[in-house]
Amino acid sequence: MLNEQGWLLSLALFFPVIGAAIIVAMPSEAERTVKRVGVVLTGITLALSTVIAFGFDYSSGDRLQFETVVPWIDAIGARYHLGIDGISMPLFYLTGLLTFLCAIYTTKIIPEPGKPKAFLALMMLLQTGMAGTFLAFDLVLFFIFWEVVLVPMYFMIGMWGGPRREYASVKFFLYTLFGSVFMLVGFLSVYFAASDAGLANPWDIIELSQAAGIGTSTFQTFAFLGIFLGFAIKVPVWPFHTWLPDAHTEAPTVGSVLLAGVLLKMGTYGFIRIALPILPEGAVRFAPLIGVLGVIGIIYGSLACLAQSDVKRLIAFSSVGHMGFVMLGISAMNEQGIQAALYGNIAHAVVTGMLFFLAGSLHERYHTRDIATIGGGMLVKMPRYGALLVFVSMASLGLPGLAGFWGEFGALWAARSPAPAIAANWSGLYLGLVIAGAAGTVLTAAYFLWLIQRVGLGTPTERWAAEPLADVMPIEWVSWTPLLILVFVLGPFPFVFNIQDPAVTNLVSFLGGG
Amino acid sequence: MEALNYAWLIVALPFVAAGVIAAFGRLMPLKGAEVGLAAIAIAWVVAVMIGYQTFVNGPVEAVEQVFWSAPLGGSVLIEFGQYVDGLTAMMLVLVTTVSFMVQLYSREYMHGEDRFTYFFAMLSLFTFSMLVLVVAPNTLQALVGWELVGVCSYLLIGYYWLEKTNSDAANKAFLTTKFGDIGLVVGIIVLSVGVSAHTDNVFSIRETTELAAAGMLSEPTIVLGCLLIFLGAMAKSGQMPLHVWLPDAMAGPTPVSALIHAATMVTAGVFLIARLYPVFAQSLAVMNTMAIVGTITLFFAGFVAIVQDDIKKVLAYSTISQLGYMVAALGVGGYTAGIFHLFTHGFFKALLFLGSGSLIHAIHSNNMSDMGGMRKFMPVTFWTFVVGSLALAGFPLTAGFFSKDEVLVSAQIWASNGAASGVSSTALTGNLVFWLGLAGAMVTTFYMGRSVFLIFFGTHRGVSAHTPEEVEAEVAAGTLDPQAEMEDLDQAAHDQDAVDDLSQQDVAAGHAGHGSDHDHGSGGHHLPHESGWQILTALVVLAVLSVPVGFLGGFLWDEVGGSTERNFETWTATHLLEEVSYPFLADAHPVDLEELHGGEAEGADADHAGDGAEEGEAAGISTDVTPLAAGADLVLATEAEGGEGEVDNHVLHGAPEFHLNVFVLALGGFLAAIALAWTIYGRSRPMRDPVLHMGGVTTLLENKYYFDDIGYRGVVVPVRDWLAPAASWSSNVILDGIVKNTGGAVKRLADVTYFTIDQKVIDGGINGGAFSAAWISSKLKRLQSGDVQRYAGAMLAGVIVLVVVFAAAR
Repeated sequence: MLNEQGWLLSLALFFPVIGAAIIVAMPSEAERTVKRVGVVLTGITLALSTVIAFGFDYSSGDRLQFETVVPWIDAIGARYHLGIDGISMPLFYLTGLLTFLCAIYTTKIIPEPGKPKAFLALMMLLQTGMAGTFLAFDLVLFFIFWEVVLVPMYFMIGMWGGPRREYASVKFFLYTLFGSVFMLVGFLSVYFAASDAGLANPWDIIELSQAAGIGTSTFQTFAFLGIFLGFAIKVPVWPFHTWLPDAHTEAPTVGSVLLAGVLLKMGTYGFIRIALPILPEGAVRFAPLIGVLGVIGIIYGSLACLAQSDVKRLIAFSSVGHMGFVMLGISAMNEQGIQAALYGNIAHAVVTGMLFFLAGSLHERYHTRDIATIGGGMLVKMPRYGALLVFVSMASLGLPGLAGFWGEFGALWAARSPAPAIAANWSGLYLGLVIAGAAGTVLTAAYFLWLIQRVGLGTPTERWAAEPLADVMPIEWVSWTPLLILVFVLGPFPFVFNIQDPAVTNLVSFLGGG
Repeated sequence: MEALNYAWLIVALPFVAAGVIAAFGRLMPLKGAEVGLAAIAIAWVVAVMIGYQTFVNGPVEAVEQVFWSAPLGGSVLIEFGQYVDGLTAMMLVLVTTVSFMVQLYSREYMHGEDRFTYFFAMLSLFTFSMLVLVVAPNTLQALVGWELVGVCSYLLIGYYWLEKTNSDAANKAFLTTKFGDIGLVVGIIVLSVGVSAHTDNVFSIRETTELAAAGMLSEPTIVLGCLLIFLGAMAKSGQMPLHVWLPDAMAGPTPVSALIHAATMVTAGVFLIARLYPVFAQSLAVMNTMAIVGTITLFFAGFVAIVQDDIKKVLAYSTISQLGYMVAALGVGGYTAGIFHLFTHGFFKALLFLGSGSLIHAIHSNNMSDMGGMRKFMPVTFWTFVVGSLALAGFPLTAGFFSKDEVLVSAQIWASNGAASGVSSTALTGNLVFWLGLAGAMVTTFYMGRSVFLIFFGTHRGVSAHTPEEVEAEVAAGTLDPQAEMEDLDQAAHDQDAVDDLSQQDVAAGHAGHGSDHDHGSGGHHLPHESGWQILTALVVLAVLSVPVGFLGGFLWDEVGGSTERNFETWTATHLLEEVSYPFLADAHPVDLEELHGGEAEGADADHAGDGAEEGEAAGISTDVTPLAAGADLVLATEAEGGEGEVDNHVLHGAPEFHLNVFVLALGGFLAAIALAWTIYGRSRPMRDPVLHMGGVTTLLENKYYFDDIGYRGVVVPVRDWLAPAASWSSNVILDGIVKNTGGAVKRLADVTYFTIDQKVIDGGINGGAFSAAWISSKLKRLQSGDVQRYAGAMLAGVIVLVVVFAAAR
């Protein structure tokens, strides 16, 4: 069977590293060739991912497929444990797809100071780090991929970013690292507790999950706290979000797309894959807090969006709100909640990734992202571009029938009927969370409609009236079309739910009814 | 029942049409309109077939099919499918008919518009969305359709988005209804979670209503769920105080106002309540809330219509008022009356809007002060408008007469049932709806009379005020050539760019130009003239329909060849509804689900007419009652017939009867109001319109009871100008300040460590090492990332310390 060929997954995972080496080895004068080779290499990675997607047995998505288990660091018992299940599959594939699209986009549009060689090589390194996070089933391996991601993104923001790139990149790096430290402590404590409990492989995520809770309740609470901080900063959960607007505002377009599309998902994925099943009792204790912080994020993020004057910063803050829904789903700790959270992940990646593409192209044309300076009339100057902005905004505000809706609705539904252990004490609180979360959708609609009105509608101001502004360019169509199709298809055909379903059922069984 | 299986076709066709028009419409000879019209025509035929089949078979067994599903987690499924019964069929007929007529009308009305193709794509998309809601077998699909019609409404209200007032109106509509959707979404969730205790099919409307009727849902679930869903319905169906978006929505093109903001979308809230009526009927609190909100809306909205000058605003407030009737009817147990009024209102209100569009098209102004004497210029528009107005005002034998009459009768029944059961609040709401409903009907008659007289009577007050004699002379001279319009239209199809020039040159020939909703200010410099055949066809068809649709559910149905066994009530009833009783009234008991399902096989085409214990206040046409053997309660109810002290605790009242007292009161009110309107406005427009000189009352009405101001100052301004900046500021200054200061503190600590401790204390003693340290530090300083490494090192040290501490504490 194809899905027993573990080497294939490793190849797909590490091919971008090979690609990066190839890119680096090329002469730096041949910029055009470098860009094209970049597309080919990321294309090969995507093709490998596609082979894996076809070889994957969706009916048993709860089982790890394409699995590899090799002893790695014997001294501490860490293993090279790689695999893919129904939860990892959509995120893994999305990583390949987004990187490929970013490579296509980069062939025509690359921010100052150019240097496509370094840019593409970093992007591919980033890809391995991101994909590895979703495939690693050993805590040490997971942590290494998690940290690997930081470096290329740090350089992408720091070198190709906006005016305040140095500040933003250092902040991004340090803040995430700060969280990682607590996460690592949490991992170590889990390792020691699992060793005491007699687990054969105390780093192994599957074994730890199946152990159905290790250590005392107090231990779990403290270990959860450490891991929570690491993941919460990455998501980001309110009030740990302040690195995000700066990083997004300064990052190059492609960096923002990958940041919103994949990097933030590593945090929520970590909650679902590691924090909840390994420390279920700690999770139950923290769940109401996670829910409250999630809903605060929804309301607060949306309010902050209303006050923004920079399009990209607005979209960045919108991520805080959207990830709030994902956290609300997680806080319900039931199948519906986990499904909704994972679906929200994918939908947010597609929709907000697309929004950042749009914001980047907006900057390419107007050379400003200030809403007041643009001053409306985009639908007159660039009707196709304006239509895309309206379409994707509608998806982002959670319009049923487009991608964004199911994650939000599912999270609200799940929060009305959280896991029994939570419902026993917090039923009233969760009803409040549902109502407040639903109220957040109104604010979300408000800032998007206001954005559309101020940027897209009306007549162009004097400054732009005579300016020739190109409508959507062919290269943009090529790199955007797959995302646009997904934005639409994920609405009426929420097939990602089907892919995830067996794996989520399996995972929730580890929560042991809370 | 074969046709019922094809209801999905009615839904799919407009969707395909929307896609085709959007993709290829510009390349087509009629710019995509032909696709939209063809699709809706076929859909209309299928809808009529379904309507006929469901009608002649009485309450039919619903056809429920699921086409696509996905797991929402656990056993909860998202399902898309169709649920077709009489209520669905009624809505299918209404939506496709009005949509068909509006699309035909728009071909002429919108011709020459820049985004003509886009407009047609949106009309088809809207029709599709509305039908998704109508055929929804579960609340989730209903929610999808509900939101999609909202976004179509947004896009069409903002059709003329170059002007900010229009996009403001669009935003207001979207956000106000979205506010209501908080209630809808949470309400659906509350109900479905309640249902999840009994079945996996948590969103199923059938299962939800059955469980509620069987008394298996807890009271908190029902009350909370229904009140929240009602909040959504209030916003969508323009109930006060969430009606504020609807008058502003008139910024959209008039065909849109007719289709979306009068006939179909705004009734979605009423429809959804009707769909879930067995649930709503379980709670007295919910019913009372509906009755009171509906009554307030029907009564107060009408008064605002009196002081309007913009004809579309008159009709908008009238729509709000009529929606109030529907909701009030549902709140006083008038299930059939409420949806019957929905049905008839759809036709005559669409007619009135399209008629007003025809007028606006002709004189380029929405204001009645610019009209006058139009009956001479536009006879067809005049007569059809009069028919619509009479129907709206409830003139005997028109559609609105029968349905409004039904609403009032239902209120009476409710009041007497309440009195008999000792439930004082139903007695109160019943009387409230009855008397204020009567008063509201007078208000309706008055403002429609005022409008008709101001528009069609007196002398023309347009910029080009001509006497009828002059007009006739011009017609005779051939300057007013009805053919000109058609020629333009054909030409426009071939060469859109030429339209503007053409219309400039063609002014003398009475060309109507385009974009009448749009303020073309100086457009009135030619004579108004009757619209072309497409507009008139739509008007005539709807005018003709505005009469007979009333007979379906009226007490004269027998007299015109119908049968008591098959009327509007049997059409839209369901087997479940036949069994449902109000638990708060005397002698009620929950529905026995097993019996319900067991009895369905033979009861499928049985008549339900017997379950209504007639009020018996007035001697009417006696109904030939054949009680259905569905339960002892029916026999009980039948025995109770005619008894004053007995209670009809059922949702359905049986075939309508003639109530002389209601008839006399309604007709008297109509005559009084029309007489008053004639006295003031009949002969000519008064120099001093009395309704505009009522002091504080006029001020109150002209300011629309200050709801808009309260909403703006109380909600929009605080959120946009205070809360949002506060959130942004607290994020940038407070939360980020903590982060920055922590970073700064670490930096200072590092400096102290290095410059003081390391360099002075330790390194001061060891001079030899100083050179290398200085060399490294100078290297580090040059690198921007030097900070990162230093902090990373510090943190690694911290990790080690923490690990040791943790390991020790373990």
